[in-house]
This record gives sequence, C-alpha cells and structure tokens, in this order.
Amino acid sequence: MCGFAGIARHEPRGVAAGTLDRMAAALRHRGPDGCGRYAGERVGLAHVRLSIIDVAGGAQPLGNEDGAVLIVYNGEVYNYLELRGELVAAGHRFRTRSDTEVLVHAYEEWGTGMLGRLNGQFAFAIYDRRNETVLLARDRFGVRPLFYSIVRGDLVFASEAKALFASGEVEAALDPVGLDQVFTFWAARPPRTVFRGVHSLEPGGFAVWQDGRLRCGRYYELEYPEARDEPAEALSTLDGLLSSGVSLRLRSDVPVGGYLSGGLDSSISCALAARESPYALRTFSVTFDDPRLDEREFQRLVARELRSQHFVQAITPGDVAAVFPDVVWHAESPLVRTAPAPMYLLARLTREHDIKVVLTGEGSDELFLGYDLFKETALRLFCLRQPQSRSRPRLFDRLYPYLDPKGRRGDFWQRFFLEAGTPDDPLFSHLPRFRLTSRIKDFYTGDLRAALADSDPLDELRANLPSQFPAWSPLNRAAYLEMVTLLSPYLLAAQGDRMSLAHGVESRYPFLDHRLFEFAARLPTASKLRGFREKAILRRWARGQVPAAVQERPKQPYRAPDIPAFFTPEPVPYVRELLDESSLARTGLFEPRAVAGLARRCAAGLATGFRENQALVAIVSAELWHRQFINDAAPVRPGPLPVPDVALADGVGVSS
Amino acid sequence: MDEPAILTRTRAYVLDTFLYMRPGVALGDRDRLLQKGVIDSMGVMELIGFLRSEFGVVVADEEITEQNLGTLADIARYVAGKLRNGGPAARD
Repeated sequence: MCGFAGIARHEPRGVAAGTLDRMAAALRHRGPDGCGRYAGERVGLAHVRLSIIDVAGGAQPLGNEDGAVLIVYNGEVYNYLELRGELVAAGHRFRTRSDTEVLVHAYEEWGTGMLGRLNGQFAFAIYDRRNETVLLARDRFGVRPLFYSIVRGDLVFASEAKALFASGEVEAALDPVGLDQVFTFWAARPPRTVFRGVHSLEPGGFAVWQDGRLRCGRYYELEYPEARDEPAEALSTLDGLLSSGVSLRLRSDVPVGGYLSGGLDSSISCALAARESPYALRTFSVTFDDPRLDEREFQRLVARELRSQHFVQAITPGDVAAVFPDVVWHAESPLVRTAPAPMYLLARLTREHDIKVVLTGEGSDELFLGYDLFKETALRLFCLRQPQSRSRPRLFDRLYPYLDPKGRRGDFWQRFFLEAGTPDDPLFSHLPRFRLTSRIKDFYTGDLRAALADSDPLDELRANLPSQFPAWSPLNRAAYLEMVTLLSPYLLAAQGDRMSLAHGVESRYPFLDHRLFEFAARLPTASKLRGFREKAILRRWARGQVPAAVQERPKQPYRAPDIPAFFTPEPVPYVRELLDESSLARTGLFEPRAVAGLARRCAAGLATGFRENQALVAIVSAELWHRQFINDAAPVRPGPLPVPDVALADGVGVSS
Repeated sequence: MDEPAILTRTRAYVLDTFLYMRPGVALGDRDRLLQKGVIDSMGVMELIGFLRSEFGVVVADEEITEQNLGTLADIARYVAGKLRNGGPAARD
C-alpha cells in the first residue's frame, strides 16, 4: 500500500522536484519503505511506497518498456497474476514481478477498458506521454482514496488532500456544503469533500486529463438484479466466492494478519485466512472497559479456535481523547463518532508487531443486510401497511438491543420511526438516521446557516440517485444508500484507509470482492434478512466454520466512547480550549452559547443520548479540523523531505 | 400544584434541557415535542426523571405515551391529574 501525488500542467512549464517532494513528504505515513518521483515539463508524479508485493522490484514511478507510459499506484490488484498471463500471451514483456507493472501493460493493451478487468482495491494515475494524457482511476467501492483539484487550468491530485495543500498550489478552504453533508450522512458525498474545490474521484470512476480538460466517467455501477428465488447452488457459490476472495487477498510477499472484532464477518475472514495462510495467523482486536462496547469474550473464543497469535489493544476513554487530534488530521474531515480512534490505535499495534497487511470484515453488513437499519426499514414498511395495528409497532422494541433498554421501547420510540418519512420517499430507509444526525445543525451559527440557505443535502442526494433505483426493492435501495453514503466515504475512509495507513498498515476486504457483491445483489432479500435474522445465508454457510456462539451471535455494532472520552467529568485541556467562546467565535461554525450549554450538560453527566454525543464529537472534531487545515496558513505538518529512490525527468534515465 | 404552574416549570425545564442550543425556537403549549424534534425516546426518559424529582410523580411504563407526554399542555394535564388523583400515593 502506498500513496501518490502529481500535477498535470495545461502548458508545459514544468513541475518542480521540490514541489513533488513536499507532496510526497505529506504522504510519508502511507509509504515509509521508499519513494520516487518523475518531474517532467507537463506532468510530475510522486510516490511513497509500502512494500508488499515484489519488495525488491516494485519501486515507482514505473514505466513500460520505452518509458512512454508511467504509473504511480496505491493499492493491490489481486488478480494480477492472471492478467499478467494474458498480457504475456499478447506479447508484453515484464521487468518486475509487481502488480504495478501489470497495470502499465494492461493500460497499453486495453486502455480504460482495463478497469473492468481489475479485481482489487486501488487508485492510480497513469501518464501517457504519447498523447499527453493522465488517467486517474479508483476501485469499485472506494477502498483507496484519490483527491484532485483543478487550479488555474492545472490538475493537482493525491491520495490525501493534505498532499494537495503541500504542493502550495491548492488552497485549503472550507466547503460549507461538504461540512453540512458530514452532519447529515456522516461524511461528504464524493465527488464533494469538506474542502472547497477539492474533489474525491467517485468509487468505480475514472477521469482523463488532456489539453487542460478533465473528462470524468464510470466503469462500474452498483446494481441489484434481485432474483425471485434463491438458486439451488447458492451456498456452494458463496463458499467458492468467500474462499477465493480471501485466498486472493492473501497474495503478498509479507505476512498477512487479521482484524478480529468478535463478530461473524471478521471471524469468517480470519477463519478462512488461518486455513490458507502459510504462517500462523496473527489476529488483532480492540477491547473496552465498558462492557457495553467490549467483545473480548468472542474475540478470545475465535482466536483460540483458530490458534492465532492474538494481540489486544485495550482502549480507555483517555486513549481516545489523546489520539483524537491525530485521528482528525489523518481523516481530514470532521467526524460524528470517535470510532475511528480505536482503529488508529489498532493499526499502530499491528504495525508494532511487524504486520503491514490485515484482512478485515467490512462490507458484509452492506452485502448481506446485517445492520439494524435494514430491520428497521422492513419493520417500518410492515407497520405502515396497517397503520391501525397496535401490535405491529411493538416489534420496534426488539430493534437495537445493545442500546439502553429504557430508551428503546414504548410510544415515543415507535413514533420516531413511524413518523420519520413515507415509503414513497426514495430516502425512506435512511430518514431516521439522517434526521437524527442532522440535529447537530442545531448548533450552527447564523452565518453558517446563511451560507447553506440554498442547499439541501437530502434533495441533492435524491436528485443524484441512479435511474434504476426506483425499480429496486426497498431493502436493496437501503443497501445502496448504505454503500454510497456510509461505507465508501466514511467506513472505508475516515475509519478505514486513513486510520490504517496512518501507521503504514494496508487493510484488505474479502467481502468487497466485486464478484461477491454481485452474487449478494442477485439474492432474494429473504436469503439475507429473514424476519429478525440478519445475514441469514452467511450464517447458514458459517455453520461449522466459526464457533457456534459467533455463528449465531446477533450483530453487535462497533462503537467507542464519545462524550466520556472528552469529559472526565471536566473537559480535557484541549477540549476546554476548543470550546472556549472566543475560540469558537474565531472559527464561526458553532454558536458559542449553544456549545456552552452542551459543555455544561457534558460536565454534569447529563448528556447521555445520541444527539448530544454526536454533537460534541462533531464540534470537537470540526474545531480541530478547522485549526489543522483551514486556520493554519500552511496546513502541512513539517516533516523531512524524502530522498527519492527513483528520480526520473524528461530526457533523463532512471537513477536509483 | 395547579396545571399552569406545572406547565411553567416544565416549559423552563424543556427549554433548558432540550432547546438550549435553539434559543430562538418558538415552542407552543400544544406543539408536539417529538414531531418538532425537541425530544426523542432517550429524552423522554430524562423528562420522566424530571417529573419524578420536581413533582414527585412516578410515570408507569404504560403511561409513557404521546397522549400523556406529547406536548407541554399534555404533560401539565397528566401531572396535575396524577397529583390530584394519586395524591401522596403518586409520590415515590
């Protein structure tokens, strides 16, 4: 796993090596094993490397035989051996064993048609000197990031936004609409980000830069061609896809470990990895003192069964507070939960034990309808079909069993769901969550409200849904919304890529193999959610594969302490400073008197609900983010400039 | 305690607890607290704690309904009724 950056000029006025080195330095955490650059008249490319495949030969930027095509690349293409075979048969000659070189030749052979052939998690830039084009591309589900900005006719791109700012050519400024999306969906929706003029290449998308113009396109769309009946061979197909998905993701020249939450999905990926791995699997977990958050019992159970070497990162509220500023720096966005912080610490622990690749279970809940949100959607529809029924709404009391039982039963609880929206609204499934998250906006200043007067994130999402969306079943619509509003821009980003790569750890997602997604999307809903039993087909498959207690275990969402991290009961020093009236007034996002009220309730131990927990995390993270990126005249943490292992320039050969 | 006094104290509590971040919002006696985004089911639990400590009224599970607690006016009527009918028995 790596990071890259680059600049494409609309006129051949050169890209300075020093600019590229500054961009590389901003990404050094993603690739501590090596770096390289190409500084040309029209295009400059920079790369930092985490060596995983072809440790000796995979340095970048990497070219084809005559150097006419150059690539910088972040990620893995798992079927690179198969593609390489095809390309060799077509006459291509290879100098390395790396998947990077496979991409170069795949581009030569198939152009953008290569993208649909790739099975992996990747982002890359390919500079074709023959026609002076730059191709940017990103994997189907957005595992790996790619940001870009167009400044005075030049294209500036990078794996993280901080490298754009490090170039000195892109200004870091707030995009209030992007911020408002975070406080609606938990993350800004690509292509928008929280930075004005900085775009995120959409998952499954590509862009071609030529003659000063950027043309964006898509090579992959999420589709849900749901079958009426479950195919007779569904379980054996699932077995093959899971095994293959894990097996491909074990392709590595360094040992692969596993994150183990104690739930079904990570237990499955670790169990399959333990079976196939040539090494004794190393598993990594977080534990919490708070029993409502802790899953150590199940983690130990699975680790024992797999005979893995098991490592535990104990998380206290104080740990969350201590690393939260770094978490925001790496996430590059305000947050509404502290949940990325334990993942940041887990990646650090993983790297300390010399593991730089881990399998992890994300994606399964979206593919197999694991979240309570899907049950909630089905139940709301069930109740609204017979609005007079008094017995149906009582089923809401069975939702979210991990929450405080006092707050999740009765009339108010039921009405919250039943009055959140009508089934003819395309966002029906997510309206309760979007409305709850939007309570953060109660704290906005008048100025911020005024800046958002013409913007409605829900209407904008409704207007950008795919044309097939209305034809999908309500639960598939919910699954789609979950993929595009939460999985890609938040779980895989702020809580995924950015946390693990902060410590040079690459996470791999067997459940996000596109073949498995397409299989799950074709299944009838009842194969996935059967009454209150989520991930039904996956549980059927898992019988005998993971301990029975895990195979039967209801979904336990991953959570971390929010307010208790920052108020003990007094605010930790940096939070006190951030919430100070004059400090808030300087930033201008949140009403100081309203924030003072929240701080009072936090300190008194009265703020215990979702609303105030999310509001405090939102305010603290947004204030941190604003200071780190916007207020600071140069939002780049000073770090040593890397000495390139590879330094290329026009008319100059390779030096290394 | 009469209904208007209960209403006044409950209003002050709701404004201070659930609307401190929206000081400009107008809250009528008959505005639905849930629908207006003032209170949610966790907030209702907090409100019940207030009714107990402030008025000595214990709200039974089956009484946690919109009919009893849906608006400020509903709350005042319900609490006054409990105090009237239950008297000291309504106290914990």
